[in-house]
Amino acid sequence: MTDAPALQIRGLAKRFGDKQAVAGIDLDVPSGSFFGLVGPNGAGKTTTLSMATGLLRPDAGRVAVHGIDVWGQPTDAKRIIGNLADGVRLFDRLTGEQLITYTAMMFGIPRPEIAPRVSDLLTMMDLRDAAGTIVADYSAGMTKKIALACALVHAPRLLVLDEPFESVDPVSAANIEDVLRGYTASGGSVIVSSHSMDLVQRMCDHVAVIAAGHVLAAGTTDEVRAGESLQERFVSLVGGRHSSEGPAWLRQS
Amino acid sequence: MVATVLRLRYRVLANTLARHPAQLVGFIFGMLSALWLLVLVVAGLVVLALWQGAEPAQTVVVLGGAVLILGWVLGPVLIAGTDTTVDAARLAPFPLTRRQLMLALAGTGATGIPGIATAVVALATVVLWVRWPVAAVAALACAVLAVATCVIASRLVTTLSEGLGAGRRGREIVGTVVLGLIILTGPIVTGVLMLLDASGSPSAQFTQAGTVVGWTPLGAAWAVPGDIARGAWGPALAKLVIAAATLAVLWLVWSRALVAAQGTSRQRAARTVKPGSLGLFGIMPTGGIGATWARSLTAWLRDPRYLRQLIMVPLLPIVFWFTGGAASGLFAASTVIVALVIALVGYTDVSYDGTAFATVLASGVRGRDDRLGRMLAGVCVGLPLVLAVALITTGIAGSWRMLPALLGAALALLLSGYAVSAVSSALIISPVPAPGDSPFKTVPGQTFVNGMLVFVVMGAVLALSAPALVLAAIGVFADLPVLAWISLIAAVAVGLGAMIGGVIFGGRVLDRTGPDLLQRIRALPAR
Repeated sequence: MTDAPALQIRGLAKRFGDKQAVAGIDLDVPSGSFFGLVGPNGAGKTTTLSMATGLLRPDAGRVAVHGIDVWGQPTDAKRIIGNLADGVRLFDRLTGEQLITYTAMMFGIPRPEIAPRVSDLLTMMDLRDAAGTIVADYSAGMTKKIALACALVHAPRLLVLDEPFESVDPVSAANIEDVLRGYTASGGSVIVSSHSMDLVQRMCDHVAVIAAGHVLAAGTTDEVRAGESLQERFVSLVGGRHSSEGPAWLRQS
Repeated sequence: MVATVLRLRYRVLANTLARHPAQLVGFIFGMLSALWLLVLVVAGLVVLALWQGAEPAQTVVVLGGAVLILGWVLGPVLIAGTDTTVDAARLAPFPLTRRQLMLALAGTGATGIPGIATAVVALATVVLWVRWPVAAVAALACAVLAVATCVIASRLVTTLSEGLGAGRRGREIVGTVVLGLIILTGPIVTGVLMLLDASGSPSAQFTQAGTVVGWTPLGAAWAVPGDIARGAWGPALAKLVIAAATLAVLWLVWSRALVAAQGTSRQRAARTVKPGSLGLFGIMPTGGIGATWARSLTAWLRDPRYLRQLIMVPLLPIVFWFTGGAASGLFAASTVIVALVIALVGYTDVSYDGTAFATVLASGVRGRDDRLGRMLAGVCVGLPLVLAVALITTGIAGSWRMLPALLGAALALLLSGYAVSAVSSALIISPVPAPGDSPFKTVPGQTFVNGMLVFVVMGAVLALSAPALVLAAIGVFADLPVLAWISLIAAVAVGLGAMIGGVIFGGRVLDRTGPDLLQRIRALPAR
């Protein structure tokens, strides 16, 4: 079990109506790695991560977290996953502090440990001042941060973060980056989806490029970018870059 | 520009209906019933025109018209977000003058289904006055005036309720108060009519009410043709002035309100409690059961979507008291109906989570822990309420002998309701207002089959509580107190047994259906 990858995905597929959102994806997230998942809009990133965390039933394929089958033993698997899902609500009638406490209780954290953990997370996410504010009244970036805090509260072995840095201010993002680095250095594993190539190139030791439900390239970040910047490599893999200066009517002179 | 906005609105409607066939069916049914209603109203007006004189016609038109305008005013409060495809905030980025903006908004209001229906009815009133040509011409003008009043008043209320900083919370409170008033309308109207004319016949009372309302902004436009037909030129002119002035004032106030609303952003003052106040989350034991219990109970106590259903609890006995008096059987039995209402509140509980159910699913909480947590929260609210209503109504009616049978019937329904909900909410997803939306918002996406499921759930509740209900009924009608006591025991025993079964079975179902429930929640329109 110690050798099992943090996340192993085999032949994962999902179809919505006429659209094959995910068409047979294989991925290995090594234990202790910081794994980036990149791809254009509609590539199937969120669908893949939803299936990997037990939120969306796959049409085909297997997912295992540290050797535990996510769809065979969901309760055991979810216990060691910290999940920041994209495009779902939180129980946003609760205050930030209540929401983290609630999540900790859901994972059965012993009562005496809850308050210190909540306090640390609020400080870590720069949300101390907003602790008593209802989450519905948070800005987009604050909502991301509180969701991330909820994903961390039970000290999971694998963190699955879908667009964690979207709308988060640069200072908080840098703070969170430090925390995540410390987390992987101590043996935790992270898989993160993002549109920011600079961020992925800087933070991730592994990366996979997916488009139209297929894996186009996967491996260590250095292997995948093959001497180019990740941005250039991504564009050449995915294609679709225009070189025009825009339509004539848009030019101001 | 105004025409572009109107076209946009129909485009949005067509696209929505094309994407959701189930909604299209609902839409067609809605149209047909509206059409049927229109036919009835117009036919009624024609009959009135043929067989009655000017005075009854005027009374009907004035009272009916006043109710119509009132409906347009209350609509946006009750059904917040009525047709928000086109509202001031969405048009704000476009270079429209305020006059163009108002015309566009008024135009979309008038050309929606309610607007068209109102216009048809208003124009149909012209047939009442064909025997008096001058009145008929005036009726045409007044109909236009009245429809404009409806639309502008409704838009004004929408703008006020959106812009006045009161925000969501305020609108929810106003909505709840208005619903309470509507439920109490029956008793209130009876009372007012009795005050108006204690001895007169109903028709005399209506005539009197019509005369009074005809002088108010609500009825003035509708009253003008009738006055002309009867040759009362002075009052006709005065009422015309009132009607025109009403419209002008509404337009001016609306214009001001739009300016004011532009200044305030949609951001409300943040609702903040003292840091460290965890509420129920500090009290309940840790673990899936305690966490769900605390979250669900918080929703029961704070979420307007749950509270809306609980306001029926005090209202039902009050309505029965008004209609039948304290001695009536209906008042004495109101606890049973209250119990049935409360029992059904949670039958599609997971729907109220919305996509936040994903966080429940991601925690890997066991199905039966989730079921038990939700059930405990329901019991914490429902049981004290039912006991309170039972004791208070029994105390007022002085029917203490009936109490065991009453409690037997009520508890049987309540506990069976919890048991059935534990299973049904793991199976059924219904479109409900999103968290934070007005609880009175009508949500699209309700299909016919889904609507019927309520009756299946109700049937299951009745089946489980049948033994206690029958025993209680025999106990009361045959005056056998022993049976009443047995019914109470049966209610508690069967109810608790069913609840345990519901938690275990519902838990297993939820373990299997969890991801599918989430996918169905996501597939609902407007998420």
